[in-house]
Amino acid sequence: MNKIYDYLVIGAGPAGMSAAIEASKAGLCVLVLDQAASAGGQIYRNLGQAGSKQAKVLGPDYVSGKPLLARFMAAKCDYQPLVQVWHIEAHEKGFVVAVLVSGESITYVTSHLLLANGAMERPIAIAGWDKPGVMTAGAGQILLKSSALLPKQVVLAGSGPLLLLLAQQYRAAGVTITALLDTTPKSNYWYAIPWLVAGLTTPTQLFKGLWLTLVQRIKIPYISGVSHIEVIGKEHASGVRYTVSGKVYDIACNLIMLHQGLIPQTQMAQLLGCPQVWNDFKQCWQTQVGAAGQTPIDGLQVAGDAGAIGGAYLAQLEGRIAGLARVNSAAELRSRRNKLVNLWLRFRIKQLHWARGLIDRLYQPAAWLSEPSGDTVVCRCEQVSAEAITAIANTGCAGVNQLKSFTRAGMGACQGRQCGLNLGYLVAHAQQRPMSEVEPLTVRPPLSPICLGQLARRSEL
Amino acid sequence: MTDSLFRSLIKDPPQCPIVVNGVEHQVPVQLSVAAALLYLGHLATRQHPVSGEPRAPFCHMGVCFECLVSIDGQHKQRACLRQITPYMCIETLMAGLN
Ligand SMILES: Cc1cc2nc3c(=O)[nH]c(=O)nc-3n(C[C@H](O)[C@H](O)[C@H](O)COP(=O)(O)OP(=O)(O)OC[C@H]3O[C@@H](n4cnc5c(N)ncnc54)[C@H](O)[C@@H]3O)c2cc1C
Ligand code: FES
Repeated sequence: MNKIYDYLVIGAGPAGMSAAIEASKAGLCVLVLDQAASAGGQIYRNLGQAGSKQAKVLGPDYVSGKPLLARFMAAKCDYQPLVQVWHIEAHEKGFVVAVLVSGESITYVTSHLLLANGAMERPIAIAGWDKPGVMTAGAGQILLKSSALLPKQVVLAGSGPLLLLLAQQYRAAGVTITALLDTTPKSNYWYAIPWLVAGLTTPTQLFKGLWLTLVQRIKIPYISGVSHIEVIGKEHASGVRYTVSGKVYDIACNLIMLHQGLIPQTQMAQLLGCPQVWNDFKQCWQTQVGAAGQTPIDGLQVAGDAGAIGGAYLAQLEGRIAGLARVNSAAELRSRRNKLVNLWLRFRIKQLHWARGLIDRLYQPAAWLSEPSGDTVVCRCEQVSAEAITAIANTGCAGVNQLKSFTRAGMGACQGRQCGLNLGYLVAHAQQRPMSEVEPLTVRPPLSPICLGQLARRSEL
Repeated sequence: MTDSLFRSLIKDPPQCPIVVNGVEHQVPVQLSVAAALLYLGHLATRQHPVSGEPRAPFCHMGVCFECLVSIDGQHKQRACLRQITPYMCIETLMAGLN
């Protein structure tokens, strides 16, 4: 029989680490699982191992994760890096989590589960995004954080804080940025003005953001008001085509990094049956999460960017409150101090989510991005084009799940992570329905492909 | 294989031997398998099973499944989620040699 954990945390980012610290401090038996080689999550990826040169290029926000990382490494909890969660299901004792470790499947049982598996980048179905030579800005940053790899020359295209941050980091490392094509619609700036009030409640963040934006505009070839980006090239990317004020331009380049903000990774919560709600403001599906991370499923919590995109500090606070809530439910340990901490955390989390509204409004993706057309590949795994999807959507299919069985879009290895959102947009446009009515793709096990041999070796539950 | 689009931030990084498509190479120790392939100038790492078009790692965080290669005889591994180890045998999934 497997050992039964009191608290299993998926993801060792700011949210997961903070929750594990709180729960293990209270004496709970905690296990943290993460697919990365070391703890830290997206923001603090590889922080424990990064050399001084990497730290310098990545900047002060990166290094500021050191105290949290140190507290996590000192916490009395089990931590398993390099494991990929491929299945989770309800169990008489709580939950069973199946993971792949060096190609072997192992299962863990836990009474309570926290999903802190973070965000992914919004998929951007533009013409040519499937060509070699195109990757996401997040990918570029991961290469820098974990492998100390830099492009020799690059075009950055899209919108959002991560794109600007990467530009800053690449500049610090001496990378030639041929151009930064900013797709933020000009109207977003006007719509964001009222949100300045919210942004002003976190003045340091606001100032840092403004500075980051201004510096890039001065220091690199910065082209704003860009729309309709396409990657050109035969087998490999050889350039980017884009439009500014109705005029079409080409730039030659063989490496392009795209970004349009982040969306939560909801697949695990969906697999366990958590309802999803469409957030029109953030333009993404989200799991319904309570103030202390609770979900409608007993014993299941979600925290950090896996719930709602809020950034590292918010993730850290959400992880902490989720961990405390787990402890309180275990020991009825409702001391006055805990109550006060809880109140403070709730207030800060609410306030920071409100302040985040400024970023959400400013960087809301442009409408043209949700209207891929022609032979632009939407589902990369099954190579299904926008026109094929629109044709089926026009016949009046019920939603993305029916569309999946007609076109195979969303059936591939990535389980619709790279196409789900855009399938939804295409159905919504074709049938003139709001996104909230077009359900997200259903998630089926396994969360990532597993071969029969691995399944056969899977230890008995 | 062509000239790499990437370089290492670190000057003279410590090296590790790996075997790609049967050929031994020295690459910086810190690399993921996907990073190693980029570093060595593999623009594409697999051919799409439906269209035959070349594809390359896209997200480097395990969500796009574009980086599938075979590693030490295990097929369809996500190259971005694995770190290189000495003499690791990597086969890209290109029909012709890449
Ligand atoms: C590519 C990328 C780069 C980013 N860079 C920055 C940055 O430089 N600065 C910044 O302020 N913000 C950055 N962000 C935003 C980031 O989401 C937050 O700042 C913060 O890291 C969120 O914390 P979290 O704990 O919620 O999740 P994360 O930090 O994302 O941690 C989630 C963890 O879950 C693990 N995980 C996910 N799926 C699985 C699975 N199936 N099995 C096992 N483990 C899994 C991941 O390996 C990861 O370590 C980035 C986001 C992305 C997607
Ligand atoms: S590059 Fe996307 S899964 Fe590896």
